[in-house]
Amino acid sequence: MEKSGSVDSVESLCSSTTTRSDRSSGTRVSDTELRSKGRAIEKVLQCKYTSKGELPLLPEELVQDSAKDVTYICPFVGPVRGSLTVTNYRLFFRCTDREPVFGLDLPLGVLSRVEKIGAATSRGDVSYGLACKDMRNLRFVHKEPEDSLKKSVFEVLMKFAFPVSNNMSLFAFEYKQVFPENGWRVYDPLAEYKRQGLPKESWRISKVNDHYELCDSYPAALVVPVTITDEELRRISSFRAKGRIPVLSWIHPESQAAVVRASQPMVGQNGRRCKEDEKLLQAIMDANAQSHKIFIFDARPSVNAAANKMKGGGYESEDAYQNAELVFLDIHNIHVMRESQRKLKEVVYPNIEDSHWLSNLESTHWLEHIKLILAGALRIADKVESGKTSVVVHCSDGWDRTPQLTSLALIMLDSHYRTIRGFQILLEKEWLSFGHRFQQRVGHGDKNHTDADRSPIFLQFIDCVWQMTRQFPAAFEFNEYFLITILDQLYSCLFGTFLCNSEQQRLKEEVPKHTVSLWSFVNSQLEEFVNPLYVHYPSHVLFPTVGIRHLQLWVTYYIRWNPRMRPQEPVHQRYKELLAKRAELQKRVEELQREAANRTASSSSERAGSPTRSITPVQTFV
Amino acid sequence: MDIPKAGIPKGESVKQKLTLPPHPDRQLCRPIMETFREIVVNEANFVRKCISAESCQDDLWGKLVCTNFKVSFITHNSLPRQCTHRLLGEHDIPLACVEQVVTVNDVKGKQKILGSNQKLKFNPTELILYCKDFRIIRFRFDEAGPESAKKVCLAIAHYSHPADPQLLFGFEYVGKRYHGSTGERVNGVDPGGGMQTTLFDCSSDWDREIKRTGASEWRVCTINQGYFISPSLPEFFVVPVSLADQDLKQYACFFYSQRIPLWCWNHSSGSALVRMSNISDLQQQRKVEQRISSAITKSHPLRSDVFKSDLDKNLPNIQDIQAALLKLRQICVIDPFEESEEKWLSSLESSRWMEYVRTFLRHAVEVVYMLESRNVPVILLEKEDRDLSCVISCLVQLMCDPHCRSLHGFQGLIQKEWVMAGHRFLDRCNHLKKNDKEESPVFLLFLDCVWQLWNQYPAAFEFTEVYLTVLGDSMWVPIFSTFLFNCPRQRAENSRDFASSKSIHLGQDQALRFPPVWDWSQQFSLKDQTLFNNPLYVGKIATCVQNGTVKTFTHSSTLRGLPSALRNGSLGPNDTLARRNSLVLRLRSDLSQVREQQETPSERFIRDFFSRPVDLQGLLLPQLLPSHLSVWKLYFLRWVPEAQIPQGGPITAFHKLSVLTDEIDMLQNQLRQYKGAGGTPNNLHAEHSKMYFKATSTPHQPPAPPEYLSSSFPFSPVGNLCRPGILGSPLSKFLNGAKIWLSTETLANETI
Repeated sequence: MEKSGSVDSVESLCSSTTTRSDRSSGTRVSDTELRSKGRAIEKVLQCKYTSKGELPLLPEELVQDSAKDVTYICPFVGPVRGSLTVTNYRLFFRCTDREPVFGLDLPLGVLSRVEKIGAATSRGDVSYGLACKDMRNLRFVHKEPEDSLKKSVFEVLMKFAFPVSNNMSLFAFEYKQVFPENGWRVYDPLAEYKRQGLPKESWRISKVNDHYELCDSYPAALVVPVTITDEELRRISSFRAKGRIPVLSWIHPESQAAVVRASQPMVGQNGRRCKEDEKLLQAIMDANAQSHKIFIFDARPSVNAAANKMKGGGYESEDAYQNAELVFLDIHNIHVMRESQRKLKEVVYPNIEDSHWLSNLESTHWLEHIKLILAGALRIADKVESGKTSVVVHCSDGWDRTPQLTSLALIMLDSHYRTIRGFQILLEKEWLSFGHRFQQRVGHGDKNHTDADRSPIFLQFIDCVWQMTRQFPAAFEFNEYFLITILDQLYSCLFGTFLCNSEQQRLKEEVPKHTVSLWSFVNSQLEEFVNPLYVHYPSHVLFPTVGIRHLQLWVTYYIRWNPRMRPQEPVHQRYKELLAKRAELQKRVEELQREAANRTASSSSERAGSPTRSITPVQTFV
Repeated sequence: MDIPKAGIPKGESVKQKLTLPPHPDRQLCRPIMETFREIVVNEANFVRKCISAESCQDDLWGKLVCTNFKVSFITHNSLPRQCTHRLLGEHDIPLACVEQVVTVNDVKGKQKILGSNQKLKFNPTELILYCKDFRIIRFRFDEAGPESAKKVCLAIAHYSHPADPQLLFGFEYVGKRYHGSTGERVNGVDPGGGMQTTLFDCSSDWDREIKRTGASEWRVCTINQGYFISPSLPEFFVVPVSLADQDLKQYACFFYSQRIPLWCWNHSSGSALVRMSNISDLQQQRKVEQRISSAITKSHPLRSDVFKSDLDKNLPNIQDIQAALLKLRQICVIDPFEESEEKWLSSLESSRWMEYVRTFLRHAVEVVYMLESRNVPVILLEKEDRDLSCVISCLVQLMCDPHCRSLHGFQGLIQKEWVMAGHRFLDRCNHLKKNDKEESPVFLLFLDCVWQLWNQYPAAFEFTEVYLTVLGDSMWVPIFSTFLFNCPRQRAENSRDFASSKSIHLGQDQALRFPPVWDWSQQFSLKDQTLFNNPLYVGKIATCVQNGTVKTFTHSSTLRGLPSALRNGSLGPNDTLARRNSLVLRLRSDLSQVREQQETPSERFIRDFFSRPVDLQGLLLPQLLPSHLSVWKLYFLRWVPEAQIPQGGPITAFHKLSVLTDEIDMLQNQLRQYKGAGGTPNNLHAEHSKMYFKATSTPHQPPAPPEYLSSSFPFSPVGNLCRPGILGSPLSKFLNGAKIWLSTETLANETI
């Protein structure tokens, strides 16, 4: 890597980039290229770019427009002048009047809103505000082109930032990078259920949803008790919201207690019942010989669950479902979570208020929501592990709070999901195949930023996982960078993984055929994402402490744009250094051992050749 | 109050008793150390120690004993315990650690806080001890004789309020030694020979410090020998060479308590750090100040003018700090766990503890900026120069001087800036419980500041957070010279008086030799002391073998900036720039609003620091954003079962690092054997290992962390206040919350 930056900060960042790239250099040059671009949303300009002054492009990435004399109003240092380039994938700003040289490089997918603020000033300057999905707001000032026919670079930006609203395709469909690994093959439902050790005598894989006729937001492969016929499943589907019937997520390898997910029952105000549904829950309970009870975890606050009866929904009555116990987990809906995230953004960006930081943070309720989600998952995991009881988890539609809870409980229960590939399978299964509405919740390429369907549900889940990695630093194979990469690529629209709302839609759009999976990228350079402290214990169940005292704001994610951010993970770095040192020492010791062995061998043969010498014990060092 | 005279102890067998095997089964309880002149004052049988808040099924039965040193509970049921204390059993509380003694009669609905020499009109059914280290312990007397219960409560209350410093157990403990036939090492007190920590109690220690820091224009001054000039200064201290003894004697009277300004340390650039009390004579103030300043300037290589930093104006006072700690304790251990959940963050904020920690760190950074960047000498000004200056001066040295981040360097630093400079440990700890207004956890606040630095740069310190926690706890074990006195003179006088009243012949010693806390073998076995060793530490001359030659193992700069992509592209740190309402959607369109804000030079200094790779053996500045300071959980939350992470917490990472470091150590030993030394037997390693967790014989098979590890390790919240965290499933823990027994809950509000 060329070095041109004269300033320390740039050099240090470059050198750390170098070490990262070097590891895979030679074999996968293109990955390295990609990594330096794809992972970063905003970063210090790489030296090689600044020296040549040109923007490196991804395959199929095309420059759409660029403008000089744009001013970026940096909240940390004030206005910075430079040039702005817009491609079909990214926004690239490079300052020209500053040392050290710095810039912004962000995928357009991260933008949720691009707006002209106010009218032009007397000098013809126009302000643009860019709100981002990753907790930032950016602001630029630019002179309007005098020729009114010519479009401003920001108008071009608006067009490419929201391709879906402009009838264009997302960049993921253009991007044609080839990786050694194929991430679309990470998850095979049948293999996964086999891994879980699904007992054939009590559970079966039903093909009733093969063509998504039973439920268009569910996967094709569904696991149900053997005693329930497909016909009964069809009847149940009309009783469960959106046809999302109770199906198995996970089964305990020893007790056979099951984690089952569903949507709310359509009880309504009249207390409608469905005998097949009741039979199904009974069958789930019977499939586990260890317990004569079943727990139904309704993720919602009980008030919300009751209010849903007005709209035809509701919750299971304990009269209708014998041996079932219903527990409400008090987790709020997507609208409350969106509001909490909005408040959080105000508190963390751009600057942190010194004197009231903690109470400001408290007033966002963000950690409180995180706590409730983790606490709910903990209760589920505890019922399954300690109580050996099967559980059914649902919320309203069973695609937001339900996957949060089931996937967190599964991480606690099954160490496989704490590995890098296991975690990918978990996401593919609980989130993607079971139809978390990523398109709606994130709003990929959609300019309608006020859409009430947007909500940081998946972000909360990743935050919860991060909280667990803090409490158990040696229990997860992946590091923090892995989690941040997932979140960054959730918004970037570079990969196809998080596109669409369901398995059916992804098949229809032929997403796997036309896009690259995020896991292709990740699994082609796993070492980047490995937690060096990881210890694998196969049967270790994690019970995190959910008290607010042990939850902390994920500053390395939410406050990462603040230039005063503290560099993270010195422990990991140091551990890697120690590992290298150990390897070196081991090598050296082995060499010496070999030398000593040779010396001993040769000296003893000498002695053998001189019979006059008395036989003395040979001193060995080993 | 009168401590009964002890019989002459029975000679030398004491040491044997001290080093009981740490096996928990055999160690039923710590025996009363009779030979230490520890005397049982009172005791009650059939006492129940409450373990659980909800039920009594886990409670322990035993004998409650009050001695002149501790409150002891002797039971045959033992709880699992990892780290054993040599002076204290698992159920023992030193009297000095008892903050408040509360007796309750729940039948009559009565309660009383007991002090010294008080009467109790009811028979207590319950005794609650609030401890200074945040523990809360509860005993019940349902089956005990009402009279003996009352007596033991009164005895505990009485003996935890000693009327005179000489009644503190340390005097008995140390006095004992002079009755032995040989005099030396009776209590295992190392007279200092084997200790590597500089105590700064003789002039050669100061000479070495002058040489070490290259302060050639400074000299050791001996005018205070015999404490004739200032009562609160040490006998030896350091002054500018340009000031003659005669001048100093003349100036002394103008300063508060005749405290002539003290040299603390020299920056490598030659700028000195000096601490100074207020000048009491206002008429002379300017003149004296000028003389002192110009003398300091003369000692500076560039003759730079002095910068004065007024600590009283910029920092919270000792009462503020005390109030903050009381509030922090309230929310950490007294408020019911579940109920305080929702308000935890704002309660934490309103305690102001974290804010004070930050204020001290920030102020120290300002001073570092003057020394490091402006290259000027700095005077720390504080009215008495005995509290805030101790904190700031130490923090500055910790940030600038890697020597202070080694174990012995750190201990020497505390000797220099706290013990010798006359921090009033006796008053601030309130060992005599006489004057609550003087009580203040200044030292604990300092430890918390150090912990914040440690937490941000764990590889830069030779010690661990367990060390810092144990050091804080040692304040309440009243046998160490470190924490027993207000100044060196008081120590000399008190011990002289004690010696003469007890007819102790001091021999060659000028005063009783109290062990310093740094003699850790007084409290812990060598094995347990390895918990102090930080496996991450990158020492100054840690060597590593590369290609067969020994090279200095310098710390790579890759520590920082990982992952680089996560860092902002923007240039500088400045959180005073645009405020929160600069959110894009609220912005006005005109550019005139946005102008480049003025960055102060010190902000620029900090920003520059953070834009460079950090050198762990060089300058370290803490991140000061409030979001980057954390609660010192090991210290403040270790006794709360609900706040424990079973089999988790940072200790699990520590475990892995220790094992790896130990393996490296083992390999290096092997290499050394090959390199000639040859004869050293292989098994020596296990004994000399510096790590608490050791490598197994099968490397590459990472050992699973032991089951007993938890975020509270090596402390155990079992038996403290609430239910044991190890029992019951996490579900019940979550569902039931911690219903801390109601009687105390209401009590706490009335008593604290």
